[in-house]
Amino acid sequence: MTETTTKTTTKTSSLDRLAIPLIIVGALLTTTAFVLAFTLAPLVMGAEVDTPALIGGKMVANKLLLSQKIFYFHMPVAVTSFVALLFTAIYGVLFLAKRERRYDLNAKVATEVALVFILMTMVSGELWTRYEWGVWWVWEPRLTTYFILMLLIIGYFILRGAIDDAERRATYASVFGIIAFIDVPICFLITRMVPSSVHPVIFRTDSGLPPPMLIPLLIALFGMFCIAFGLYRTRLREQRLRERLTALKESLED
Amino acid sequence: MDPILAEIYSTVMTAAPFVIGAYALMWLVLLVYLLMTALGLKRTEKQIAALEESLAQKR
Amino acid sequence: MAANPSQATRAEAPSTGRPSTLAQYRTLLAKDLRQEFRTREMLTSMGIYALLVLVVFGAALAQSARGFDILQVSGGLIWALIVFTSLLGLNRSFSHEKEEGSLEGILLVPLDRSVIFLSKATSNLLFLAVVEIITLPLFYFFFLTGETPSSTFWMTVGPLAVGTIGITGIGTLLATITMNTRGKDVLLAVLFIPLTYPLLYACTAATTVAVLGGDIGGAYVPALALAAGYDVVMLLVSWLLYDYVVSA
Repeated sequence: MTETTTKTTTKTSSLDRLAIPLIIVGALLTTTAFVLAFTLAPLVMGAEVDTPALIGGKMVANKLLLSQKIFYFHMPVAVTSFVALLFTAIYGVLFLAKRERRYDLNAKVATEVALVFILMTMVSGELWTRYEWGVWWVWEPRLTTYFILMLLIIGYFILRGAIDDAERRATYASVFGIIAFIDVPICFLITRMVPSSVHPVIFRTDSGLPPPMLIPLLIALFGMFCIAFGLYRTRLREQRLRERLTALKESLED
Repeated sequence: MDPILAEIYSTVMTAAPFVIGAYALMWLVLLVYLLMTALGLKRTEKQIAALEESLAQKR
Repeated sequence: MAANPSQATRAEAPSTGRPSTLAQYRTLLAKDLRQEFRTREMLTSMGIYALLVLVVFGAALAQSARGFDILQVSGGLIWALIVFTSLLGLNRSFSHEKEEGSLEGILLVPLDRSVIFLSKATSNLLFLAVVEIITLPLFYFFFLTGETPSSTFWMTVGPLAVGTIGITGIGTLLATITMNTRGKDVLLAVLFIPLTYPLLYACTAATTVAVLGGDIGGAYVPALALAAGYDVVMLLVSWLLYDYVVSA
């Protein structure tokens, strides 16, 4: 019993060794994106002013908005949470098909990372809403569907906590993870179905963003992917070790 | 300052705390999770080492 | 319960010796309905609960100004009523199986698990529909008799049908999940309300348009289509995953 568990858990896979470097790469990338978002990307235009003025050799006839800078991290973080949830659903399907415990652990950790990124999206979105609209909350379609997504993920963990039997917990969590994922495309597509002026459609064939704005966005997106994956692997290693610890404790008690 | 420029930049200063706050809070959330994971990992590793030692002594 | 296997084998399926899927479905559904006819537990508890929700609505709206247009919020109120009432019903839908352990008995019979899902969803659908048929006229009686709803009022039937089907489909799967958990009543609400939210949103939109007589082609039909699409996806996924849930 102990031998098998030690064998499966002591071998550090190459992905695990990649985790810390990936987090560092992600941190560097997001820092670059952060700097570029404030230097390379121009301020977006807001409401028109009465008389245009010459700034840096260009005529500016609109108020310049700093609040839009939140977007350069807000959207990559949101996309990362969607990707993490995609992995929850994929591992859920894998668990149901193959019945191997490790898939359940993968799904759980992926959902955890998703929750972290969902919280980040909510926090940044909230501050933007508070500044631009002057309110803390609006029942706007994208906002609401994303909030619902957060509630579903919290529900996922409440569900896990409410079941003692490991096998059953894994099955139910997998099923719920798959169902909850259905909200992701809804949330992603809702700005296409119900047009709202707040959330622009970014992913389309004719890119809506000029390159100086797209570059920091894409760097931030890639950096967030790196961080998310690094976090996922690190957390996974911790969880595996914890399982091994309980197995060791049990064998010690025998 | 030129009143026109002041109007053009009127929202920049007021928005700054919110932009800073948004970035700071995002980093904080990420950092808390990272710290939680790192500390948990370290603690578990320590416990495993201690347990394995006592297990080896028992044998 | 004991009568079921024999009854099932009596049903028509001569070549294989096993009853057809349709016969299994009918047997399981008949079992639930017979139980309900005997005890009338679900209908009375759901009906009284719905009535109490109406009383709460009355208290909540009692202080509103005289010019307050109840028609604007009635679509939302109707759906709040349906969601809370259905939660109560779904929570109880597996209580008999749980108490008597009859689900294990059903699982021993070699039948397609999705038949259990379909029969249970149908019985839940029937109970919820009956409760709606009783309480929605009451809603009209309590809140809308002084108002003049639009001539398209009858169109509320559309979202009501689509929404009720979706609610019972998702709800049956979730009730099966929460049946075996600690604090199951709360957990069902925690999982059920966010999951049905898109459906709720679309149905409320369609109902409100129908009550107020708004843009049928531009608002009612898209909302109803959205709700129907969500129904189809959710029911399909629930039906596919039910086997794993019920055998776990």
